[in-house]
Amino acid sequence: MASTSRSDSSLPKVQCPNHPDALLVEDYRAGDMICPECGLVVGDRVIDVGSEWRTFSNEKATKDPSRVGDAQNPLLNGGDLTTMISKGTGAASFDEFGNSKYQNRRTMSSSDRAMLNAFKEITTMADRINLPRNIIDRTNNLFKQVYEQKSLKGRSNDAIASACLYIACRQEGVPRTFKEICAVSRISKKEIGRCFKLILKALETSVDLITTGDFMSRFCSNLGLPKQVQMAATYIARKAVELDLVPGRSPISVAAAAIYMASQASAEKKTQKEIGDIAGVADVTIRQSYRLIYPRAADLFPPDFKFDTPVDKLPQL
Amino acid sequence: MEQNNSLPPFPQGLASPQGAMTPGLPIFSPMMPYGTGLTPQPVQNTNSLSLLEEQQRQQQQQQAASQQQGGMVGGSGQTPQLYHSQNVSTTTALPGNTPLYNTPLTPMTPITPATPASESSGIVPQLQNIVSTVNLGCKLDLKTIALRARNAEYNPKRFAAVIMRIREPRTTALIFSSGKMVCTGAKSEEQSRLAARKYARVVQKLGFPAKFLDFKIQNMVGSCDVKFPIRLEGLVLTHQQFSSYEPELFPGLIYRMIKPRIVLLIFVSGKVVLTGAKVRGEIYEAFENIYPILKGFRKTT
Repeated sequence: MASTSRSDSSLPKVQCPNHPDALLVEDYRAGDMICPECGLVVGDRVIDVGSEWRTFSNEKATKDPSRVGDAQNPLLNGGDLTTMISKGTGAASFDEFGNSKYQNRRTMSSSDRAMLNAFKEITTMADRINLPRNIIDRTNNLFKQVYEQKSLKGRSNDAIASACLYIACRQEGVPRTFKEICAVSRISKKEIGRCFKLILKALETSVDLITTGDFMSRFCSNLGLPKQVQMAATYIARKAVELDLVPGRSPISVAAAAIYMASQASAEKKTQKEIGDIAGVADVTIRQSYRLIYPRAADLFPPDFKFDTPVDKLPQL
Repeated sequence: MEQNNSLPPFPQGLASPQGAMTPGLPIFSPMMPYGTGLTPQPVQNTNSLSLLEEQQRQQQQQQAASQQQGGMVGGSGQTPQLYHSQNVSTTTALPGNTPLYNTPLTPMTPITPATPASESSGIVPQLQNIVSTVNLGCKLDLKTIALRARNAEYNPKRFAAVIMRIREPRTTALIFSSGKMVCTGAKSEEQSRLAARKYARVVQKLGFPAKFLDFKIQNMVGSCDVKFPIRLEGLVLTHQQFSSYEPELFPGLIYRMIKPRIVLLIFVSGKVVLTGAKVRGEIYEAFENIYPILKGFRKTT
């Protein structure tokens, strides 16, 4: 808004003569500033902030006449007010050889070029696993913090971006496994793990420990298991950890074994290989964890579970 | 051999400036909680490769330690603390001597995790690996070494050093063309030194003018068992700034102790691996620091 800002004391302050303390209300339809106490129109001919043209969504029949463009993201891109000259249109913008006359589209934000690249990469990665905007924003913020700190400068930007994505998912309470992040990134799990630890140290934050329940809804819906089975598997995994039947096992493996047990007891039986593919766990690992929880299977199921296969007929591997 | 056991036991790993550090007053520390024959002796000034002398010296140390051991069989549980208290008194007597530990060992050291001033654990970590480096002081031709020495492998495309192994003590050495050598796999400081001398002797016999300069122990790894299962999740919650527990990445909890600067790998079963020490005492100190904390996170079922 280009007119008088109320908080800036150097500019002449527009105020109602009768009520100098009243905050003026802007009525942009008529371009007025109105005092709410007495209704006096104080300033008129205020610049209209609406759009210049009324554009009807015509799928770009003609070029978009709006001369303003997208909203800048000042938090991330350094907030500079640079402009650039776009490619020319029409015949006059090309010189005799067919090259465009004005060529300088490069170096618009040289110092942040790597950061912009990383943001693009983060958006691409997040898009592949359908992550919502808030996680992407958090990841961008984390990356910006790490990038400005320069403590991890030697590491590949893609590795740092992948690690930031992992941390953001964890911080938002919806952790993704390292293998899931690997699947959408070109960086190895080892490198992402290393960068993860370095970033936690650099930003002096910590993340909560992962639990079995964090992954249940995703794994079960990817396998196409009904809600009953998912709830049973969540209960089984939680009980198994509480009873300390699986000390030292990764929560992912325990979750996979619980899903296996729950699905085998229901009508929708899934094989270890299928579960292993979805969870990113080897099927021998599922077998190992399953062997640990099998002896107490009867105690692990929720009390209201409807068994398609009774507990004693569960497969014993 | 003029070196007898009443000589001041110098901290291992200190290069002794020639003769300047022996003021003549015998600082005798009778309670050495070490295993066999490892009373630290003043680091020898000789750079000669006399293996015979080396072994004689070690035998004498072993005899002395066994005499001391007879006296302290019952007190093994107490020795770490006694050793510490002795050490505090002894190191102040020597001017210019860098003390083994920089802190007075009160239970209220700020950055170490708080320890109650109660009994110590009866467990002594066992050393599993010592990594040391030594400079042979002359350029070496790795090809001739690899061709003429036994148990040597050299693949310049893969790694630019000769990998040599000896059977007694069972160790591996990486010998570089600059003359520097890394010796790994020994189970004690003296064995590491002996092994390094043996490798240097091998190189010398192959015709190179090898010396034995700047022997330094770079890393010591120890392990022990606290004999009870541990709740790693609880430990990572309370000691967040020191611990890192990522079951997806590694099944153990990585605890980076600040004072002494040791990294501990703590497992659910109760086994603990300590690494990053330059001297043996750091491993013992770190374990004494962590033991009460681990007791607090013992699994009750």
